[in-house]
Amino acid sequence: MIGSKILFVDDEVVFASNMAKLLESRGYWVKAVNTGDSAIQELEKQDFDVVVLDLKMPGMDGITTLKEIKKLDLFTQTLILTGHGSIDTALEAIKLGAYDYLTKPCEIEDLVEKIEGAWGKKDEHVKKELNENIQKIVESPASVFNLYPKREKNK
Amino acid sequence: MKSSKKKADIEQKQESYGYLFRKFTFLTVVCSVVPLLLVGWGLNAYYTYYSKSRTIGNFKNQVENHRRFVEEFLKEQSSKLRLLTYTHSKAFLLAPGHLQVVFENMNREYQSITDIGVIDHNGRHLAYVGPYPLLDKNYADAEWFKEVMTKGLYISDMFMGFRQEPHFIIAVSRLEGNEEWILRATVNTDVFRTLVENVRIGESGEVYLVNSQGIYQTSPRFGGKIMESSPVKIEDFTESVKVTIYNDNPNGSGFSNQIVGKAWLDPPGWLLVIKQDYSEAFAEINHSRRTNLIFLFICAISILIISLFITRYMVGIIRHRDERANQLNAQLLQTGKLASIGELAAGVAHEINNPLAIISTERQILIDQFQNSHIDDEAFKDQFSTSMDQIAIQSKRCKRITQNLLRFSRRTHSMIEDVDLNQFIFEVVDLMEREAKSSGVKFITDLDDRLPTLRSDASQLQQVFLNLITNAIDAHEGKPYGSIRISTTYEEDQTGVTIKVADTGSGISDEDLNRIFDPFFTKKPVGKGTGLGLSICHTIIQNLGGKITVNSKKNEGTEFAIFLPLITSLPEPEDNGEETA
Repeated sequence: MIGSKILFVDDEVVFASNMAKLLESRGYWVKAVNTGDSAIQELEKQDFDVVVLDLKMPGMDGITTLKEIKKLDLFTQTLILTGHGSIDTALEAIKLGAYDYLTKPCEIEDLVEKIEGAWGKKDEHVKKELNENIQKIVESPASVFNLYPKREKNK
Repeated sequence: MKSSKKKADIEQKQESYGYLFRKFTFLTVVCSVVPLLLVGWGLNAYYTYYSKSRTIGNFKNQVENHRRFVEEFLKEQSSKLRLLTYTHSKAFLLAPGHLQVVFENMNREYQSITDIGVIDHNGRHLAYVGPYPLLDKNYADAEWFKEVMTKGLYISDMFMGFRQEPHFIIAVSRLEGNEEWILRATVNTDVFRTLVENVRIGESGEVYLVNSQGIYQTSPRFGGKIMESSPVKIEDFTESVKVTIYNDNPNGSGFSNQIVGKAWLDPPGWLLVIKQDYSEAFAEINHSRRTNLIFLFICAISILIISLFITRYMVGIIRHRDERANQLNAQLLQTGKLASIGELAAGVAHEINNPLAIISTERQILIDQFQNSHIDDEAFKDQFSTSMDQIAIQSKRCKRITQNLLRFSRRTHSMIEDVDLNQFIFEVVDLMEREAKSSGVKFITDLDDRLPTLRSDASQLQQVFLNLITNAIDAHEGKPYGSIRISTTYEEDQTGVTIKVADTGSGISDEDLNRIFDPFFTKKPVGKGTGLGLSICHTIIQNLGGKITVNSKKNEGTEFAIFLPLITSLPEPEDNGEETA
């Protein structure tokens, strides 16, 4: 979906900026960062639709970053793009709630396809929660004030 | 070349086990036979010594008793004569008929005296009773006469005398008033000889008397007669009985291989000799010694046999252990090698992957820029797109290599744990599905739900299945679609599980089929396979106590069958009538 906001996390500066360039030329809004910490900071500052996450990074590694992202309890979907090649780790990431994984190097088209999938899933989640909320409001209009308490707390 | 070296190696090992066998046998035999021989020898020596001294003691007693017996006889005869001289005067005895009465009375019980006579101090025979005409004899010059006149008692050696027959006399003197007279009696030689010789000691025993000159005083049983000179060496007079064992006639003693007891009779200064063949005297000891020897021999033989068996058994165990250790060592070495290659490979793959990713992004950027710009040069456009395609192809090839390297290196922490094989296969299939789908291959699983939990190594099994599935996917290259069928079966009778991975790929030719488990054997194009995958699978399955076999038909497909043992846990029989029956 054109216009999605993507956070690209990879410790290889050139790779991250290249990917950002490529994705931007395909109509995405991309922010590239090089560490797990800065990724978390960005996520706290603004909403992203999809996070593309490298697993092997100095400092906070991909798995830890993923866990931190999950703690934030966002609708944002995480896509693993790993040069690690370890299916075990990728599988672990999926178990932790990552949407899917890709191994480096990958075709930009494959990545776009996955991003679209991830975005779609996020969209689904958002719509589902929206419907639920609408349902709740229809059932008891007063509950409108109690919606999104977690989001408030996290921010 | 390699096989001949291996053969030589095996031969050398066999040789070393032979050496070990001989050494152990020798040690065992020495360790058990030496104490046995020591004990046997000690007991035998002690027993021989003890029995010998007992036999010798008995022999000594016999000699002593016999000496006393003969001595008593002689003493009795002389006492009788002495008593006569005191109870009867010379005048009385000389009276006609008196000596005859005395002689008859003396011989009333035993005919021990042949004749008796009274002799005056001049040696004249005054009275005589006996079978020989000796009345007119004068003994004034006879040796015995002089002897009895000085000592009062005389017992002669055997001599022929006037009667020309071996005999000996006993004479006693009596001082009556101022005049000395002599009562002289001849001892019945037959009676005396019977008395002396009538001791039977075994088959080879004999008893005889010799005087101090070595003349037989009685007839020995073997070789010799009374009055003849004996070959016996006469030793000095001793009070005690002397028992000697002679071997092979030493120092001309006249005895060989005999036990000889000697005792002096005093008076008359005769040597009582009792002898017996050594072999007879010690027959019992010899017999028991022989028995001992036989017993020892049997013991030694049985020890030898037992130690041979025990040693063979022990060497067998050692050989078995050695083989096992060698096998483990080889496996360990192989594992170590693979692990270090794996580490290296993983490092290289990681290092290559990142620049590769950058190259591919740079390519993409170039393509994007190229599409957005207007270039009229068609030749350049063609060349550009060809180059970009080539970059993509080569990048993909690099990726393939690094992925293979990483997969190969993925031998992580191995540990034996409970493995739910069906779940495990499900996970592996799940992992590989993406890769298979892109090659047009789909998975078919046929899992036996009676499958028990295995005790096995999940990380190693994962490696095996990833390898097999990767191969199966690769086997479909050039085919638009295909399938990989994974089935599990619980082998009730073999207490194990069989997993089959069958593909519809290109298959393996017959000549390649028996080489596929060899390390570094690959049919994949250069840069695609390491040739280690199946070799590793084989090693892993073997280490897990299982078996991997392959079946393949060219252009039809390949089926790998893996048998895995349960090792520990067994499932509960589920609705299985056969098992409960």
